Amino acid sequence: MTAAPAIAPEKVEDVSRDEATDLERPWLVIVWDDPINLMSYVTWVFQKLFGYSHEKATKLMLDVHHKGKAVVASGPREKSELDVYRLHAHGLWATLTKSD
Amino acid sequence: MRVRNGGGAPVLHLEEHEAALLRELASETKTLFEADIPRADPVVARLFPDAYEDPADAQTYHDLVGGELRSEKARALEAVTQSLGPSGDAAVTLDDELTSAWLAWLADVRLAVGTRLGVTAETMGAEVDPGSPEAPAYEVLHWLGWIQESIIERVHRPGAH
Repeated sequence: MTAAPAIAPEKVEDVSRDEATDLERPWLVIVWDDPINLMSYVTWVFQKLFGYSHEKATKLMLDVHHKGKAVVASGPREKSELDVYRLHAHGLWATLTKSD
Repeated sequence: MRVRNGGGAPVLHLEEHEAALLRELASETKTLFEADIPRADPVVARLFPDAYEDPADAQTYHDLVGGELRSEKARALEAVTQSLGPSGDAAVTLDDELTSAWLAWLADVRLAVGTRLGVTAETMGAEVDPGSPEAPAYEVLHWLGWIQESIIERVHRPGAH
């Protein structure tokens, strides 16, 4: 492993604080467990919306079920908000949050 | 209720009393998607959840996309209603679009019924006392889940019988 090259101070000032933060910390799309939606349906939604394989979608669904929530996607805020919207359109309980 | 393979796309067959119950549920859910019901209603809060923990961000999201989300759910409901026809039994050919509409609508109805009942993981998994006043609603909830499951199974395994 090597250290990241040092950035000249004037270079840092070119980038606004918000933009820099956005680039470094993506938004996380979280799906929360609920007692009503069927496991098979949640798996189907993950496959349909995100194009995940049946295996990956099933693993995420089980994470939601056993851990109470799971990060199902991540990315820029606008894309993540659209993902949350599509999950809401399918009846899943989803939120987005900035990663730590 | 059964889902069979048609000439490629699965076909959802519903007997007259089953189709009648679904039409009734469709007309009941219509008001949820069309009227601007206050978010204090737990069913509305569940069908249109907060996207953010922060209340101001959550409100902005509702203001921005709440109307479109209601329209999208109403469109799925409309597609389901059309496919059921006005009366009698029904045979619904589930192309990709109708499959999505049916599954999303069934999810919404189950959320509405289940939230109204205040179901938990325990009550969902438990046997329902047939004498309980809530028994019919639980029966509908599980029956809708069975339809949903049958459609998904057919979509995943198109050759299966």
